[in-house]
Amino acid sequence: MSTNTQVSNELPLPAAKPRIKKKNPYIDIWYRLLKNKLAVVSLGVLVLLVLTALLADVIAPYPANEQNLTNILQAPNALHWLGTDAYGRDILSRIIYGSRISLQVGFVAVTFSVTLGGIIGAIAGFYGGSTDNILMRFMDILLAIPGILLAIAIVNVLGPGLVNVMIAVGIASLPTYARIVRASVLSIRDQEFVEASRAIGESNFSIIRRNVLPNCLAPIIVQATLGVAWAILSAAGLSFIGLGLQPPTPEWGAMLSEGRQYIYEAYWVTTFPGIAIALVVLALNIFGDGLRDAMDPRLKQ
Amino acid sequence: MKEVLIEVKDLSVQYTSEGKEIKAVNNISFQVNKGETLGIVGETGAGKTTTALAIMRLIQTPPGKIRNGSVQFDGKDLLQEKESVLRKVRGNKISMIFQDPMTSLNPVYTVGDQIAEVIWLHEKVSKTEARKKAGSILELVGIPAERGSEYPHEFSGGMKQRVGIAIALACNPQLLIADEPTTALDVTIQAQVLRLMTNLKEKLNTSMILITHDLGVVSEVCDKVAIMYAGEIVEYGTLEEIFRNPSHPYTQGLFNSIPNMNKKVRRLTPIVGLMPDPTEIPSGCSFHPRCPKAMKECKSMKPGNIQLNGEHKVSCHLFDETVVRGRVETNEPSTP
Amino acid sequence: MSQALLEVNNLVKHFTTGTQTVKAVDGISLSINQSETLGLVGESGCGKSTTGRLTLRLIESTSGEINFEGQNINDFNKRNMKKMRKEMQMIFQDPYASLDPRQTIGETIMRPLMVHQIGKKKDRYNQVLELMEKVGLDPRWVNRFPHELDGGRRQRVGIARALAVNPKYIVCDEPVSALDVSIQAQVLNLMQDIQEEFNLTYLFISHDLSVVKHVSDRIAVMYLGKIVELAEAEELFHNTQHPYTKALLSAVPVPTLEEKPHKIVLEGDVPSPKNPPSGCRFHTRCPFAEARCKVEEPELREVGSEHFVACHLV
Repeated sequence: MSTNTQVSNELPLPAAKPRIKKKNPYIDIWYRLLKNKLAVVSLGVLVLLVLTALLADVIAPYPANEQNLTNILQAPNALHWLGTDAYGRDILSRIIYGSRISLQVGFVAVTFSVTLGGIIGAIAGFYGGSTDNILMRFMDILLAIPGILLAIAIVNVLGPGLVNVMIAVGIASLPTYARIVRASVLSIRDQEFVEASRAIGESNFSIIRRNVLPNCLAPIIVQATLGVAWAILSAAGLSFIGLGLQPPTPEWGAMLSEGRQYIYEAYWVTTFPGIAIALVVLALNIFGDGLRDAMDPRLKQ
Repeated sequence: MKEVLIEVKDLSVQYTSEGKEIKAVNNISFQVNKGETLGIVGETGAGKTTTALAIMRLIQTPPGKIRNGSVQFDGKDLLQEKESVLRKVRGNKISMIFQDPMTSLNPVYTVGDQIAEVIWLHEKVSKTEARKKAGSILELVGIPAERGSEYPHEFSGGMKQRVGIAIALACNPQLLIADEPTTALDVTIQAQVLRLMTNLKEKLNTSMILITHDLGVVSEVCDKVAIMYAGEIVEYGTLEEIFRNPSHPYTQGLFNSIPNMNKKVRRLTPIVGLMPDPTEIPSGCSFHPRCPKAMKECKSMKPGNIQLNGEHKVSCHLFDETVVRGRVETNEPSTP
Repeated sequence: MSQALLEVNNLVKHFTTGTQTVKAVDGISLSINQSETLGLVGESGCGKSTTGRLTLRLIESTSGEINFEGQNINDFNKRNMKKMRKEMQMIFQDPYASLDPRQTIGETIMRPLMVHQIGKKKDRYNQVLELMEKVGLDPRWVNRFPHELDGGRRQRVGIARALAVNPKYIVCDEPVSALDVSIQAQVLNLMQDIQEEFNLTYLFISHDLSVVKHVSDRIAVMYLGKIVELAEAEELFHNTQHPYTKALLSAVPVPTLEEKPHKIVLEGDVPSPKNPPSGCRFHTRCPFAEARCKVEEPELREVGSEHFVACHLV
């Protein structure tokens, strides 16, 4: 083909470094996501949340645990925008610091379960047979117990505290990721490009890493986004019943629990942490849905 | 002179995708006479299927849109009629056979029911009568009537395509549009289906538009041939005219690309380059970037339809006397 | 004739699903000579694709020998088999499914070089570009993804990937059947060119008889897991012996106005390989079947020079 020889001559080729630059395949997904207004708004909320957590020391008007017993249970006012609690602590500041914990729980727990669940699912799907059977039946046992119950049981065994909450929430959501990854692996395993990799002599490990996992990333990312919401909600739930983080840590669920007894006199003590939880969970869910729509090729025009 | 059954004039169809306009079909005109078979030949993206769908006005709008043109059938312009009128035409007077027999049948209904439904929909008969007629149509396409109570997955690919033909023939249509009806089938099964289609066509005197990429199939079934490239008909004629005297460089290229079973050639002579991007169809003659005989005029001027002998028409400047004579007078070389 | 590069003896592959056994390949023997193209034709489900994959050990055979340059690769362990992959490659049917959608063209072609540690690390990028030019791909496509390319170009990527390890033997599984005719001709020419340049041996699997005839030196015809006829290409087409081959050849629509030979249209469908007919597997559709065809299985035997047929009536 004459055109080829022509262009190759005038083409400046980086000859020295054998690096193959990768164009991000997620760029299309990003543009499709931007078309979804609701998803963009929820992304904005999430970005705001992350910034709040990072800059908590700068933006919080008071330290999280500074008690002021002369100012207890004050309604929202100019000094305390969201009011104060039974120890006179500023609720806005506690919510701001609390975002750090919620985000930490959400992301660490999900990273943990995505990694472990992903590995289990990938191995089960790729090797099949009895390996698949043993691993997935174990996952089925986990799945048979409602997630929050499982988390409560695990925290009961391990004891309360941030790390234990993260482990409990992480284990409780393992089977979801294992199943998703296994299903994607099964559909990809029999594709011709995997056989092509075998034909050039790639090892199984390398095929899983290079061909299989990158191709089932999309559903995992979507599920992980929704999973963060579930983790934040579960952690708040655990703290609410006293199994999660202990006072005086500014945890949203614990704050709800503490304010419960004043709910008739001082609505703000429970309402604002509650709104914070609801807002973040809602934003994550909407964003996750938007992400799924953007990644689903069937919706591609 | 034979009676004209359907006449398509200046048909243009356009799709919109991500803000870009795709001209799928550009100003094509053809007609099919009663009892004749027209083969529409072309490669992927030539606009064959779009043409077929446009005739039945089945183009999804949006993203598709029929820009202009007329389809005269039975004294009506199908592109102007109301949807309710068209529903009476589809499946009844004009019906379609699809490429993939695996997906064109509904898996949850028996084959007999699917045929009966078409009859019941278009003819004033009772359901039992419709079922009875469905049985006789199955026999017609070579399937025992008892098998009407089976589901599509119980049939092989070739048998499914027979069912597809049975559905299409259920109401004795005047025109049958077959979109690559044998492409998904094995050769020996293809031979069965092609034989069935030609036999039925003669028996029922149905006209047919056969869409295909396979010139071999065309040579066995068709009376007239239209060659499509990038949304246009570049050459049209009887089977004889096209096969004895292929005139458009694209048609010649197609013939040269196919390995011939009857003679041994060491190398094939393919058409260079690729089909043009439908969003950026080349100026002038859309084939000029790939054409071995392209001249200067081909780039700037769209060739008209030039009548050769008989019904043979070609859309190429090489046959345009004003262009060719102009070249001789100015003494330009014929290749750039 | 030069010596055999690959020799297959009594190769069998049975797939078992639950209680059923599909006899995909049921005892076939053939040899492929150095630098020749052996065409393998048959209809869907006849086992031609499975045969191709078995010769590369992409599927493990149930029994039989696969001798590549005199060594039975069925006896190889994992390490030796990986080394052997450098000698034997495959070009796939579907240019859409055979390329990883998340790998760039460059990565796809470079992987075989990395897996087998061919060349120095820093030269590999240039090797990739050279390969791309060899198969007629603009080197500017190196960082593109498969979905940005059309079918013909993708198939060229598949060819470049197979060529990267400099193999001796390539299984081509319907390499052009997903392509338009004008592109098909371009790819067929490319395959012929690289065969000459690199002295390649092809097993060319296709259902398209005109393509197989064009590229093959010898042709084997399969029906329900068995080879029914094997001969040199011209011999097979002009001195056809097996009734199935005759029907197959006459069924192909030839684009010509010339008087065509009488069409033999076979009745019925190909029987299921789950329980193939007794005796000669073709007897249920064969217009000439006799009593013994139902009972006795015909052997593949030589009826002319290098012409083998499995039929009682020949």
